Amino acid sequence: MKALFWIPFFIFPILVQSNFILTIFIFSFILAIAAVSFNLIFGFTGQLSMFHAAAFGIAAYITSLAVSMFHVSFWVGLLPAICCTILISLVIGSICFKFKLKAFYFAVVTLAFSELARLVILNWNSVTNGTLGLMVLDKPFVWLPAAGLVKIDGAMGWYFFSLAALIFTVALCSLVLRSWIGRCFAAIRLNEDLAQTLGIDIFRYKLLSFTLANALAAIAGSLYAFYTGYIEPNYLGINQSLDIISMVLLGGRSSIIGPIAGAFVLTGLPHVIDLSGETRAIFYGLVLILTILVLPQGIIGTLASWRRA
Amino acid sequence: MLQLLVGQTLNGVIVGTLYGIIALGVTLTFGITGIVNFALGEFMMIGAYVTWYLFDVAGLPYPVAIFPAIAIAAGCGFAADQLLFRFTRNNLINGLLVSIGLISIIEAAALLLWTTTPKDMGYVLSGAFRVGAVSVPKMKIVVFALLAAIMFLTYAALSRTWIGRAAYAFSQNPEAAMLMGVRTEMLQSAVVVYSTALAGFGGALYASLYSLEPAMGGLYILKGVEAAILGGIGSLVGSLAGGIILGVTEAVGSIYLPSAFRDAYGLVFVVAILLYRPGGLFGTER
Repeated sequence: MKALFWIPFFIFPILVQSNFILTIFIFSFILAIAAVSFNLIFGFTGQLSMFHAAAFGIAAYITSLAVSMFHVSFWVGLLPAICCTILISLVIGSICFKFKLKAFYFAVVTLAFSELARLVILNWNSVTNGTLGLMVLDKPFVWLPAAGLVKIDGAMGWYFFSLAALIFTVALCSLVLRSWIGRCFAAIRLNEDLAQTLGIDIFRYKLLSFTLANALAAIAGSLYAFYTGYIEPNYLGINQSLDIISMVLLGGRSSIIGPIAGAFVLTGLPHVIDLSGETRAIFYGLVLILTILVLPQGIIGTLASWRRA
Repeated sequence: MLQLLVGQTLNGVIVGTLYGIIALGVTLTFGITGIVNFALGEFMMIGAYVTWYLFDVAGLPYPVAIFPAIAIAAGCGFAADQLLFRFTRNNLINGLLVSIGLISIIEAAALLLWTTTPKDMGYVLSGAFRVGAVSVPKMKIVVFALLAAIMFLTYAALSRTWIGRAAYAFSQNPEAAMLMGVRTEMLQSAVVVYSTALAGFGGALYASLYSLEPAMGGLYILKGVEAAILGGIGSLVGSLAGGIILGVTEAVGSIYLPSAFRDAYGLVFVVAILLYRPGGLFGTER
């Protein structure tokens, strides 16, 4: 049943050959990975992490720097990026959760760390080229049966590559959430004290949720860097976090596919109605505010409650 | 060297009081409405730009230009409160997200109206006091005095008047305060509007010293929140002290370390204080 959900996405590019629409889909897929993984910590574990964009950006930088400095393939570059993100997340998560920072204080401290990371990247000119950013010229290769090594290039290739990555993310998330780990996350979200009383090690599960979310964001960041061919310190900025939060809230934080819907709407609409940078920011802000005030369950959540009614 | 150190410390104190006035707004709003208004910096920017427009473009005298600036900032604050914040009372995360959404709207609107080109206001008050080898522009002294005065008045109003006692009562126990005849809805709105008026006032004074850009609001609210946490959320003295400590550290720190680290001090402070003394320097233990 769940697998059937993806079939239209595989047929879609055969019907629609337009590069413009495929590009919107590719961006939506990649940002949906970030949004789905963010929902792991925000929607399912109930912790507002502001470090997500930082994980996204740090991984984008590490992957592309590894590829351009050591001339290794995308996959070899991705490995240290994920490892570093996991390491950083473990350190920051341990600090935050050891000291039992909750709600606003957790958001502020993760925001502080994320801004520190941005400042480091912004000012480490010799390596990261500062505000100007870096060009990423390499493209990933994948091995396909019958075709051998294929370079991912062009809209069609990226479409299926990013779709595959999204499916991997969703599969991993639903696997985790359906297991006892997911139950522990939900217990922590609903009542932390009670969860602890029931013998759930809240420190360990919060840390797991935070780290897993950031590791998946790292994949999204690396894909984003290689798709756009360009990285800049703004990838780690507050606005990037805000975009991801808006996607999750708009789509609905109670389901796995909610953030995907949010990513599609928020990536697609500004392209379709062609907005300038400033009006786009106004649009995002309005969507965020209206979603919280009018549609607190998000699109998918509201649809689901209609169906139940 | 000593001259530079003293000069930078004084500069830090001036900037620090500007952080402090935002921190004061953050602390008041948090104490009474239970949310952190991240958009306060944007109200400061509105106040600053209105002052610049009235003084530089419309040609009003500076003391006259300040009042419409405060009024417009407070008016925007009132609109934001009635349209948005009224619905997020005591819901920290929603309040945070709504105010972040408001930041991107106001900042983008400011970019459309005034572009990214920095705006510089002409001199309001020229000349400088000289003490030994250190000279301080007169305007900076005036700004410091006005900000300190307004914070003192706020402190006096909160500790000496009926409204202040109502606010303290409300922050301790909303239901009991309501039973004692405190008009809680009005009190909450008043505090939100007052904090935006404070921010507008800070912005009006900021405009007389530094150049304006639409992004200044985002920077100042970050510093304001850092100062409030450093001083201890809920403490009025703490917000001023936190602001000044932060301002002086930044100013003095940029003598010894590259100025790129300027924005990092506050972040390090926040992490350190939340881990080792979560109540803040002047606050009570959480």
